[in-house]
Amino acid sequence: MSEHVLPVETPSHRLRLARPREKVDSIAYLFVAFFTVPFVLFNVLPVLFGLYLAFTNWSIVGTPTFVGFGNFVRAYKDRSLWQAFGNTIRYAIVIVPSVVVLAYAAALYVNQRWPLAGLARTLFFAPNVVAATVVGLVWVAVLDARTGPVNEVVALFGGGGIPWLTSTQWAWVGVSAASVWWDLGLAFVLFLAALQDVSSDLVDAARMDGARWMQRVWYVLLPATWNTIAMVIMLQLISTFRIFSQVYLMTAGGPAGSTMSVIQHVYNSAMVRNLMGYASAVSMLLFVCILAVAWVQSRLLGRRA
Amino acid sequence: MTPATARSLRRGGTTVIWAAGLIVALFWAFPFLWMVSTSFKPAAESLLGGLSLFSSHPTLEHYAAVFQRYPMIRWALNSFLVAGTATVLGVLSSALAGYALARMRFPGRTVLFALFIASLMVPIEVTVIPMLIGFIRVGWASTYQALILPSIAQVVGVYIFRQFFLSFPGELEDAARMDGASRWRTFWSIALPIARAPTIAATVILFNLNWNNFLWPLLVTFDETMKTMPVGVAAFAPTIGSHTQLEGYGNGMAAVTLLSLPSLFLFFFLQRYFMAGLQTGGIKG
Repeated sequence: MSEHVLPVETPSHRLRLARPREKVDSIAYLFVAFFTVPFVLFNVLPVLFGLYLAFTNWSIVGTPTFVGFGNFVRAYKDRSLWQAFGNTIRYAIVIVPSVVVLAYAAALYVNQRWPLAGLARTLFFAPNVVAATVVGLVWVAVLDARTGPVNEVVALFGGGGIPWLTSTQWAWVGVSAASVWWDLGLAFVLFLAALQDVSSDLVDAARMDGARWMQRVWYVLLPATWNTIAMVIMLQLISTFRIFSQVYLMTAGGPAGSTMSVIQHVYNSAMVRNLMGYASAVSMLLFVCILAVAWVQSRLLGRRA
Repeated sequence: MTPATARSLRRGGTTVIWAAGLIVALFWAFPFLWMVSTSFKPAAESLLGGLSLFSSHPTLEHYAAVFQRYPMIRWALNSFLVAGTATVLGVLSSALAGYALARMRFPGRTVLFALFIASLMVPIEVTVIPMLIGFIRVGWASTYQALILPSIAQVVGVYIFRQFFLSFPGELEDAARMDGASRWRTFWSIALPIARAPTIAATVILFNLNWNNFLWPLLVTFDETMKTMPVGVAAFAPTIGSHTQLEGYGNGMAAVTLLSLPSLFLFFFLQRYFMAGLQTGGIKG
């Protein structure tokens, strides 16, 4: 496999595919069946069943009844859900730009190919490969108000002990920081691949013309990697809208619902309050929001992703 | 200012940026260093606070405690079994599908691939509750089937293989088919052996996805003995399990150090494949 291929359909591929082969390969259906059967059973059917669930008052026991738009009316009146949506949007506003800007800066840095750039690449990417449980627990320890190193550093600068995960003012900041640390790696490798694809002739020509480093970034590299930037923003936006594991592990949505995300709300509805229909309805609402945001974003930033 | 001093100034500036970037990168690894360091520190020492990464009396007491308090070995075996099986099945089915989508002509090919790509927009969080109800109804909740089956079909795998087979030299298969080999045999004896790089990339990426999978195993495992490692180890989180300020984070950090070992191990040794695969796929679970 060539090393840094981004999802691009090159014209030569299309040509090759369009060339008429002798006949239809009916055995192809066997080839795709091994993937398609589990895909339909566990990716497609659950969405359709979930859509039906959203209009019932399903719980683990008892017979479900059809309740029409009851769950959606309930969602509209649910103050805690509005708070969860607000919190999720706040996560997106903080996490997405932080990840994109820091990851791009890190990719620019590593792309310079200077000594130890390989080490920096490894370190920037590493957090992305570990489980949510690792991220959640490590950040609970790091942000501990009494024994955590973050507050030790704050104290060095004369600050008082910040109650990182136990105050409504700070808890969402702590969760966001952990999320940026965890998510940065993926954006970083995608940016790095895009930067490495930029023709060095282009950069050299700009340098000959006397463009300073900042100018080369601004006028050459940013435009040349714009498609990837748009794709990464989209991916990160979707992933932040789904934020759950780190919330569940670090604060479980507290204190006072200040870190509650939509999916944490769905989890509580389903697993704590046994409201499967309602939980399904709320997850569908989030799905619609994701589609809407993706659509708006593709309008604003140009297509692809 | 002469051009020479300007150049040396710029070189000095470059060195500063180079050093600053490395320091930031090292800072980025700090939470990992803190994790490992705390796992070897006696609880009493951790509770005193401080920024030291090295203990004067390193101890294995937290690692011992982790195995005594919880069925860690069972969780780890569950995780290896579940992630291993789901990965093998996932890689093979992705390879077959990716090959067919790239190399074979059949009605529905374009629609099928479009459906796979479109499914990436659907958050798995939408599917887990209907799936949970389904698995409970058929009596498979909290079983290995429930943990493995939904993890097989990962679109990123199909994408990696399709991308590879699109630029695969057709002459090789043509030769095999000239000799009368069926499509099926050509795939196993010619195509798959050549697809070493995408196979490794898909294997490490799917294995890591499956090893780290959290939400679905959290929902579908009801008893301690069926938990996977990420779900079991979550009991060390103060908001979930029993945790006292006095015991500190030693046990929890020992548990997550163990949990992160397979991922970090795979990553350090197969980093090239990890990155290449993600860059092709551009997608995460």
